[in-house]
This record gives sequence, structure tokens and C-alpha cells, in this order.
Amino acid sequence: MIVTVTPSPAVNRVYWVDRLKVGLSQREEFLTRAERSATSAGGKGISVSLVLAHLGMENVAMGFVGGHTGDLLLHELRGEGVTTNFTWTKEETRTNVTVLERGREHIPVQINAPGPEVSEREVDRFLRRYRRMLLRAVWVVLGGSLPQGVGPQFYHTLTDEARRAGVKVALIASGEPLLSALSARPNLVKPDTRENPTLDGIDLASQEGILRAGRAIVNQGVDTVIVSHEVTGDIVITPEAEWIIKTQVSGTRLVELVGADAALLAGFLFRFEGGARLEEALRFGMAAAVLSAEGEARCCRNRGRIEEEMARISLERL
Amino acid sequence: MKVREIMTKDLLSVERDVRVRDLVFLFASADVSGLPVVDDDGLLVGFISEEDLVRASLPRYVEMLPRASFIPDVGQVGKRLAAIADDPIEKYMRRDVVYVHAEDESLKAAHLMIRKGVRTLPVVDGEGRLVGHVKRIDVLERLL
Repeated sequence: MIVTVTPSPAVNRVYWVDRLKVGLSQREEFLTRAERSATSAGGKGISVSLVLAHLGMENVAMGFVGGHTGDLLLHELRGEGVTTNFTWTKEETRTNVTVLERGREHIPVQINAPGPEVSEREVDRFLRRYRRMLLRAVWVVLGGSLPQGVGPQFYHTLTDEARRAGVKVALIASGEPLLSALSARPNLVKPDTRENPTLDGIDLASQEGILRAGRAIVNQGVDTVIVSHEVTGDIVITPEAEWIIKTQVSGTRLVELVGADAALLAGFLFRFEGGARLEEALRFGMAAAVLSAEGEARCCRNRGRIEEEMARISLERL
Repeated sequence: MKVREIMTKDLLSVERDVRVRDLVFLFASADVSGLPVVDDDGLLVGFISEEDLVRASLPRYVEMLPRASFIPDVGQVGKRLAAIADDPIEKYMRRDVVYVHAEDESLKAAHLMIRKGVRTLPVVDGEGRLVGHVKRIDVLERLL
């Protein structure tokens, strides 16, 4: 079983607009009417859980939820077949907003609210549940930003406990929470580069920078590092080899980038745990990510469709 | 139809040493009237409901009173509840838990709910670990 942890989940509200009006002075128009909108459960770990559930893989989503939005989030997850085990907080779960402008869907405008303040007692309650779940887990996926009140060492603590329990860890994070977790040796790391495309001072915009940063992580005992590069050309660094994942997809066809990296990780874990070799699991993960980014709602319910997409994906050794 | 097909896959539960005040917060937040109690291995060891807390907050002689109008005023009940707020729930939980297995027929769940007069049944796997719960409404929804 796979356990996912999303410390700061969100209810995602997506608006599709013809043109986003941003008034620069009071005289300019600033009201944008959305053509349609949608609400869904969001957060790195949660997105992984949803894809795993669509693939038919048993998983449990954990994290902190509170208030009406927390309730909404749990309802959505259960409706999609995810088992939930969240810790309730006094403060309400946040809401994130994404605006997708026609023709520019591959460059979304995203505004994330700060997570609620989580108390020490609530963190303790979570940790007790987490330790129980480690008894059943094979992999733990830790993902996303940390809420207020949770120290940057949180992912280090969770990684350390999982590794001691013999459970493998995949981590999608950025900044201090990511860097501090590395010494606990997660098995797989995917730096979240949306907000800050650097890692420990290394610029991740170029292939050279990604390789340098990835090798530094691998040298700390991590088995696999996956870094986003030019939308669909992720770079993979392991102690044995380095690859760039090649796809035959035009960037403008990608209209739903939010959650694509989670689809990649979920697809990878699904295939890898099914006994596939690393390269095949990476291709399967990227195929799931491409379909997700192309806006195929619930793409991953159809494994055959992912396998078809795999034919257009290759790994080139660097 | 199996219980696993109608159950809610939620593992919300409490440990034996959780305080009464934290349990009340959980009942209110998660909008539930009762929760399973589990040990460190996730095994089901008890169940605690609003009813158990109300009973613990009332003087013992209340159960012998013929009518509700004889119950002491709410202030007294509030005082008793405040007095037990920091107690571990273990003191008030039921140990004889009514539960079903995920592989049981849902009819068994319905039968237990009627016979034992419970609204929620914890669901466990073959090893006795909590895997979800079934509410009366889950069964009714499926019957319609």
C-alpha cells in the first residue's frame, strides 16, 4: 500500500477565461467573467493519491484538514476511491485559485493561499497516525508546502521514521523542507520548481544545472532524482545513469499542467511497484503526466490509453 | 453485496489516551457521533460515542428516573463534563465493540445495526485493523 502525506492540502478552484483583465489604473477594466469553473481536491500528495486510485491501486491519503473546505476535500477524495486518514485542525483548509486563459493554458496563473496554522498538539496527533500507517505501507509519498506552525524539519522527521520502518519514501518539495529531508535519504526526490527554480543555490533552468544539482542529491544517498525541464523533458539522475525523457508533444497542447508532476510520480510508482524496470516505469509515469496535462480528465482510469501514449516516449541517456 | 463495497474508506479514529475535550472537538469537526478506538498497531480496541460522553456527564441515578424532566439542570451536566474534559477516553469507551469485516455481506451490517441499535459500524480487515466504517445511511442508499 502507498501512503501519501499532504501537510497543506487545498481546495483548488480553476477558472477558464477568455482573457484575464489586469487593470493597471482605476480607469481600466478589471472584472473578468469566467466561462466555466471547477472545484477539486488539491495538493501534491493528494494528486498522487487520486491518480493511484484511478489506476486501481490501494492508497491512503494523510495530512491536515479543517472546517468546511476540509470537509469538501475529504468528500471529493472518498468519492474518487481514496482512503482518507486526515488529522483535523482548528483552522480551515486553504483554497487555491488557478486562472487558465484561452490559448495560454500552458502558462497558468496560480494563486495559493497560505496554509492554516497547525498546532503542536495537532502535529503530535498526526505523527501517531503516521506511525500506525507505516506498519501497512510500502511507499510513502511526501508532497507540497508545509502549513504554518510546522517546522522545516517536518519532512526530515517523516522520512527518517519511514526509512527506519523499512518503508520507501518519495518526496516532492522545495526549499528548506526539501534540503533538510535529504540527509534522511529519501529514495526518490522530485524538486518542486514552480515557485523557485533553484536548488541549494544551483539554477535549475539549464540541463547542466539540473545535472549538477541532481548529482549532489544522489551523492547524499538518494536513489533517483527527477527534475522538470522544458515542460515535458524531465531529467532523471540515478547513481548508475542519467536520462532525459523525450516526448513528442507540443507544449501548447498541454492545457492542464497543475497536477501533471503528481501524475508522473503516481504512474511511476504504480508501474515500478508492479515489477517494471526503472526506465519502463519512468516512461509510464511520463505518459500519465502527458495525458493529464493534455486535459484528459481522469486519464488514468484507462491504463491502455497510458500504454498507447508510452509509444511516443523515450529515454535518452545523457 | 460485500461491506467493502458500501463502506466509507475513512480511518478516522482515536487512541485510548486522547482527552475527552479533544474527542468532542473531533466529533464536532468531522461531524460524527462516534469513533473507533485503536491501539498503536491500528487494531480496533473500542468505540466511543456522544452517548457515552453524555452518560458520563450525568449523575448515575438519572438512568433510573422515569421522565427527562427530572434530569438536573444543564449547568450541573456542564460542570460534570468540564470535570471529565481532561480524562482519557479509555475511561468511557465501550470495549465490547460491534463491528463487521470488510468481506462480510452488507446484510450482516444492516442486521447488526438494527439488532444492536447502532448508527455506525467500524469495519476491520482480516487482521482486525480498521479499514473504514458503515453508517445506516450507507446501507439505505444502497437499498434504494
